[in-house]
Amino acid sequence: MLFFFLPLFLVFLMIGLPVFFGMLAAPGLLLWLNGQERDIALLYRNVYTGMDSFPLMAIPFFMLAGELMNRGGITMRIVEFSQALIGHLKGGLAHVNILSSMLFAGLSGSAVADVSALGSMLIPAMEKNGYTRKFAAAVTAASSVIGPIIPPSGIMIIYAYVMGESVAALFLAGIVPGVLVGVGLMIVVAFLAKRNDFPPASRRATWPEKGQASLKAFFPLMTPVIILGGILGGIFTPTEASAVAAVYAFVVALFILKTMGWADLPKVLTKAAMTTSVVLLLVGAAMAFKTVVSLSHAPEIMAGFILGLTDEPLLLLFLINLLLFVVGMFLDAGPAIIILAPILAPIFTELGVHPVHFAIIMSVNLTVGLATPPMGLVLFVTSSVSGEKVETIAKAILPFLAVEILVIFLITYVPQISLFMPQLFGFAK
Amino acid sequence: MSAILIVLRPLALINTFLLRIGRHAAWIAMGLMVLIIMLQVVFRYVFNNALAWPDEASRFLMLWMTGLIAPSAYRWGGFVAIDMLKDLLPLRLGSLLGMLLLLISLVVLVYGFQLGLNHVKSGWLFNSSSLKLPLDFLGLGLVRVKLAWMYMSLPAGLLLMTFVNIELCLKSVAHLIDPQADLPEDHDRVLVAVE
Repeated sequence: MLFFFLPLFLVFLMIGLPVFFGMLAAPGLLLWLNGQERDIALLYRNVYTGMDSFPLMAIPFFMLAGELMNRGGITMRIVEFSQALIGHLKGGLAHVNILSSMLFAGLSGSAVADVSALGSMLIPAMEKNGYTRKFAAAVTAASSVIGPIIPPSGIMIIYAYVMGESVAALFLAGIVPGVLVGVGLMIVVAFLAKRNDFPPASRRATWPEKGQASLKAFFPLMTPVIILGGILGGIFTPTEASAVAAVYAFVVALFILKTMGWADLPKVLTKAAMTTSVVLLLVGAAMAFKTVVSLSHAPEIMAGFILGLTDEPLLLLFLINLLLFVVGMFLDAGPAIIILAPILAPIFTELGVHPVHFAIIMSVNLTVGLATPPMGLVLFVTSSVSGEKVETIAKAILPFLAVEILVIFLITYVPQISLFMPQLFGFAK
Repeated sequence: MSAILIVLRPLALINTFLLRIGRHAAWIAMGLMVLIIMLQVVFRYVFNNALAWPDEASRFLMLWMTGLIAPSAYRWGGFVAIDMLKDLLPLRLGSLLGMLLLLISLVVLVYGFQLGLNHVKSGWLFNSSSLKLPLDFLGLGLVRVKLAWMYMSLPAGLLLMTFVNIELCLKSVAHLIDPQADLPEDHDRVLVAVE
């Protein structure tokens, strides 16, 4: 009986009930019908205790850090740095866009922050340089998904919390896949640049110019070093590292670059608090949902069904990627992870897939889903930043998506891509 | 129609006012959280003294921050949902579906609020493990903070969200009756994007 909360939840979701309410209404209703009213009180308590968590606090702080970097004009320095390095290539600005996304990914944990920071600056610049606006928007959207793959990463903090994995391990595991996505996109750009004769952005920078740009980008680029170094060196917990990152971004923006004033602070804090509140409520609801998931034996029933299709792990991983991709088309990455990880991860770890590897498959796949139509948050934000229609960007992004899908399969079938770094640092066996 | 507007207008005003206060409290809480965590780090490394209270104090602030600002996000459509079906349906049917969804949400909110009150009641029995208030000046000495003060954050948020939900319900009824009706708007509104 209780198992039916899953289909019911799906119905709620499809008709447009906010995920937060759906995750509580579906199990709540069935518990009520079952006469288990005391378990509904338990559901409530799990929402509360799910939110009451110190590790989760890293989410607001990383959001705050990204927001501060964004407002503080730190983005500008990163773009100039990328340009000094690779601006002279054919299709220079498109390459610069991708490299900047990769670097910015080391400062922020979100794709939306990436789009709004880089898009508002690079899309107009690319248009002026002779690219079509839809192409500029597509490159920006496609490369922004690297944001949550290269650490820090909001969705990986959520995954680690919901599934009890180590944040450090997931952060480390995301580095190589993130770089792979970036390199893949650059190959597409190089190919298109040759065919369409895209212009370079600038002449080759001289060594003194490169030095100048590196110097200017030094403080922003130190952020990932502080975050990862701090966590891996055992100096900070991830939560403390995120707070340090926020303070560091604040100090850099306010006192070193002087691009932000005290008066901007309330707005920045409010914005970070607002997004966090939605995520936290979702995580709370997810923790309640998760208890019902295990009470209802849903993973066992689902596992039986999935294993009934085939017990070939490679084929199963293919199918699961298909499922995740479809889900990602309709749902944003965070909520999708919150809903699906507790159901799917146990099945695959049982089959012998490394938990960290599975976490990365899920995170990367669903993050790419942020840039797929019809419901892709990154597409929407890119559209509002660029003024180009969502449908137009969705069409222009296809070649980039193709490469990202290829990378997803690479990651799926070569576990070492994800596991190499965490194993190297001893965060995964 | 006018009856709806008579209730809707003051309710919208009250919500705008309450949520504005909530947002101010929330950003201050966020700032304090950062400061407290930094203090923790500084004390541990500079003064070699690991403080006991920052962990709990920052969680206290985070919970209240969420309770006070989430209703704003709810009001501005920031709660993640797949709202494709509503857009695909004809206007009226879409509005009816929207109302149904609001009503389901309302049930969750009201039920949750009641459970929250019980939870808070139980919270008066427990002391926080590390939060103490020095109330010497009142002659009370060092008073341990009751957990109920933390528990309250969630029902407070649910209550504010219930107000918002009722406002949204009334708006959608008004919209059903007269799509051109002049409904109160929230001018503070910003885009809330959650990935």
